[in-house]
Amino acid sequence: MEKTMTTAAKSSKLKLKNLTKVFGQGKEKVTAVDSIDLDIVPGEFITFLGPSGCGKTTTLRMIAGFEIPSGGSILLDGQDISSLSPDKRPMGMVFQSYALFPHMSVYENVAYGPKIKKLPSAQVKQEVVAVLESMSLTSMANRSPNQLSGGQQQRVALARAMVMRPKVLLFDEPLSNLDAKLRAQMRIEIREVQQRLGITSIFVTHDQDEAMSISDRIVVMRNSKIEQVGIPAEIYLRPASIFVADFIGISNFLTVESAVASGSGKAKVTVLGRTMEVPAHPEALSKESILLVRPESISVKAAPAGNTTISGTQGQVNQVVFYGQHAQYRIQTQVGNITAVVSDPIFEEIVPVGAYAEFAFDSQRSWLLPADSK
Amino acid sequence: MIFPLSVIFLRAFDETGREVFGNIFSSSVLRTIIKNTVILGVVVASLGTLIGFFLAYAQMKLNFRGKKILHVIALVPLITPPFAFATAVITLFGRSGMISRDILGLSPTLYGLPGLTIVLTSSFFPVAYMSILGMMKNLDPALDEASSSLGASKVKTFFKVTLPMLIPGFASSFLLLFVEATADLANPLVIGGDFTVLSSRAYIAINGEYDVPAGAAYSMILLVPGLIVFIVQRYWGERKSVVTVTGKPTGTPTFVENKVAKFLLLIIPVLMASFIVLIYTTVIYGSFAKFLGVDNSLTLDNYRYIFSGVGYDAIIKTTMMAIIATPIAGLLGLVLAWLIVRKVKKGRKLLDFFGMLGLAVPGTVLGIGFAITFNHSTKIGDTTILPQLAGGGAIFGGAIAIIMVYTIRSSPAGQRSGIAALQQINPAIDEASASLGASGFTTFRKVTLPLIKPALLTGLMFAFAHSMTTLSPIIFITTPDTPIMTQKILAEVDSGRFGNAFAFCSMLILLVLIVMGIINLLVRGNPNKQSIAPIASA
Repeated sequence: MEKTMTTAAKSSKLKLKNLTKVFGQGKEKVTAVDSIDLDIVPGEFITFLGPSGCGKTTTLRMIAGFEIPSGGSILLDGQDISSLSPDKRPMGMVFQSYALFPHMSVYENVAYGPKIKKLPSAQVKQEVVAVLESMSLTSMANRSPNQLSGGQQQRVALARAMVMRPKVLLFDEPLSNLDAKLRAQMRIEIREVQQRLGITSIFVTHDQDEAMSISDRIVVMRNSKIEQVGIPAEIYLRPASIFVADFIGISNFLTVESAVASGSGKAKVTVLGRTMEVPAHPEALSKESILLVRPESISVKAAPAGNTTISGTQGQVNQVVFYGQHAQYRIQTQVGNITAVVSDPIFEEIVPVGAYAEFAFDSQRSWLLPADSK
Repeated sequence: MIFPLSVIFLRAFDETGREVFGNIFSSSVLRTIIKNTVILGVVVASLGTLIGFFLAYAQMKLNFRGKKILHVIALVPLITPPFAFATAVITLFGRSGMISRDILGLSPTLYGLPGLTIVLTSSFFPVAYMSILGMMKNLDPALDEASSSLGASKVKTFFKVTLPMLIPGFASSFLLLFVEATADLANPLVIGGDFTVLSSRAYIAINGEYDVPAGAAYSMILLVPGLIVFIVQRYWGERKSVVTVTGKPTGTPTFVENKVAKFLLLIIPVLMASFIVLIYTTVIYGSFAKFLGVDNSLTLDNYRYIFSGVGYDAIIKTTMMAIIATPIAGLLGLVLAWLIVRKVKKGRKLLDFFGMLGLAVPGTVLGIGFAITFNHSTKIGDTTILPQLAGGGAIFGGAIAIIMVYTIRSSPAGQRSGIAALQQINPAIDEASASLGASGFTTFRKVTLPLIKPALLTGLMFAFAHSMTTLSPIIFITTPDTPIMTQKILAEVDSGRFGNAFAFCSMLILLVLIVMGIINLLVRGNPNKQSIAPIASA
C-alpha cells in the first residue's frame, strides 16, 4: 500500500503570472484578482490567507479551472494550463462543503475518478483500497456519505482527490465546517499526508491559526492583491504592513515620537518617552512610522503603591481576562489602550482592574512599520 | 409553442376578432361574460386559498390522528378528472339530488355560480394547499420561539410574525387559483348553466358557431390575466427571500394544544376531506349503479358500455398518447432546467419564461391556437415544412398535435421540479466531478441525473395525471380517430348518462393511480441511497 502511495507523481511547480480576474461588465465591473504573480516551488504547502472578498478563493478556482482568467497565465511545470478545462488539469480539489456524491458510497466516491480515467477495474480496486486504507477509511467503504461525521467526510473528500495522484492539491477552506478540536486534528492529518507524498498544495483559509500551523509559506491577500508572501514567522514577526499585522494576531501600534536610521534594518526610536533601537521595515524611515509590539512581548507588573499617574510606561488596568495558561490585560496608557498577555501568571502578581501597572517590552521583539501602510 | 400562439394572436385581430374586441365595451352581453369570469375567479381564488391555508395550518401546527390521510385526501383532486366533481355534485346536491331532495327535501339550483364555486374550489384548492404548505415548511420555527421569548402570545405571534411572512404565499396561490378557475372549461360546460364565462364562450364560438376568429378573440382576453399572473409571480419569486433567507429550519416546531382552538381549526379541513371522500364514493358507486339517485341497483352495464367500441378506443388511445408525451416532456423539461440552472448565464430568465409558458397559457387558448395553426399544412413559400398535424384529415389522425399539446402542458412540471432539484445540488458537486476528470456530459449522466431523478419522476407523475385529465386544450383538436377520455365523459354528461361518465372517471382515476404506482416503484428502486427529497408539483 505504501508503495502505491509513494510512487505518486513527482512534485510539480506552479507559477502564476500577472493573473487577473474581472467579474461583470461596465459599471458593475469588479476586479476580484488584480494581476498577481507567485512562484510555488515543488512540494510546497502554500496558504492563501485573507478576509472574505480578498480574491483568495477566486485565485484558487482559476488554478482549478472553474474560473477562466481575464488575464495572465497559470504555468504548471512551465506549461501554460490557463485554457484547459478543469477535467483536463492534473489537480485534485477538496471543497468546503466536501461535495461528496450523495448517491454513491464512500468506495464509489473514491473510485469515481479512476473509473472515469478508464483504468482496468482490478487497478481501480487496488488503488481505491490503498487510499482508503491510508486514510483509515476501510471500515466505512460501504457507507453512504450522510452516515459519516464531518471529519470522516473530510477524509473521504481528501482520499477522493488523492487517488488521482494529482500534481497539485487544492483546498478551499476545507476545515471551516468542523469544530475547533477536529479542525486542529485534521490540519495535522492533511499536513502529514501532504508531506509524505510531497504534493504541491494550495490551501485557502481565513483562519490565521490554520494558516500559521499548516503552511510552508503564507500568501496574505487584500483587495484582490497580494499583500505579503512569507514563511509563517515572517508574516507574524515581520509583517509588511499594518494590515498584515492587524489581520494576524493581536497588535499594539505605538506612536513613535522620532525615528532615525541606525545601521542596516535598524532604527533608533523614541516611544513612550524612552529611546531604543528596534528592527525596522526598509520603508519605515522614509515616511511616518509606527511601532508594532505583540501583546505577548509586553510584561506587566503592579505599579509602586500610591503612584497613580498615567504616563510613559505606566497605565491603569481596564480589563483582565484570565485564560488559565495566560492572562490578558487591557491597559489605558498615555497613547491609548494597549493589550498585554502575560503567560503562566503568578497568582499574587495578577494586577486587578482599576489598579495601576507598569509595563515593559524588549525592543528586539518590536517591529517598526511605515504608518501609512494600512 | 410560439408559433400557434402567434397564429391565434393574428387571427384574433382579423376582422371578426376586432369586432369582438370592439364589442367588449359596447356589448353588454360580452361585458357580463367578462364580469362573470372575474367574479368566478375572485370567489374561487379566495375560497380556495382560505381552505388551502386551513389545511396547511392543520398539517403544520396541529397534532391529530389521520394527519397523513388528510394530506393524501387533500392532494387527490389534483388527479381527478374534470367532470367527476361536477357530475357527483349534481347527483348529490342538484335539483333532484340524493342529499338535497331525498334527504333534505330541497331542490336548489346549482347550475351557475353556486355550483361552479363548489366544484372549482374543491378541484383547485390543492394548488393553494401545496404552495402554502411548502411556504410554511420553510418558516423557521426558531422565529416563533424568538417571538414568544420576546413576550408575544401564540395568537400574537401568529398575527405579527407568521401571517405577514405567509402573505406572498397567499398572494401567489390566489393568483394561481384565479388563472386556473378562469381558464377551466369542463365545469362551466357542465354546471355553468346560464352563467357564461369566457372559456365556455370561446368553446361555443368555435365548436358551435364555427366562428374561429371570435373564439380566438375570446381566448385572447383569457390570456391576459394568465400572463399577468405569470409575470407577477416570476417577479415575486425573485423577491420572496423573506422565507428562504433563514435556510435550514433550526427550532422545534410547536403544536397548538388548546382543545377548543384545535377543534375550531379542524372544522374546515375535516369538512373538506369528508366532502372529497363523499364525491369519490359517489363517483365509484355511481359507476356501478344503474342510475345513481334514481335506480341505485348495482350493475356492470356502465363498464360494459365504456369498454365497448369508441369508449375502449378512447381509453387506450388517451393512455397511449399520455404515455408517449410524458417522457418527451420529461426530457424537454429536464434539459431546459439544466440549461437554466447550470449552463445559460444570459437570458436564463427568458428561457425559463418560454419553458413555463405552456402552463401559463390557458388550455383553451393553447387548444384553439393549435387547432387553427395545424389544421392545414404549414408552408413557407411553396415548400411544405410541416404536414397537417391537427384535425380530421391530419397524419396519424391528429395524434401528433394532441401529443404536442400534452408535451407542452407537461414539460413545465418537469422543468419546475428539475430546477428545484438542481438548485438543491451544490455546484461544488459538479466541480468535484470535473476536477476528477469527468467531462460535462459524464458529470450530468453520472452525478446530476441520479440526484434529480426522484424529483423529476414525481414531477412527471403529476404531469401524466394532468395529461390524462386535461380537457380544455384537447377538445379543440380531438378527431374521430383520436378519441379522448375526457371528451367522451363530456359527451356522456351532456346526454345525461351519468353512470357511464362515472365509469369513465373511475377508469381514468384507476389508470392514473396505476401509472403513479409504477413511477413510485421506480423512485424507490434504490431505497438505501440518499437523494434529494422529491418535490411535488402539479
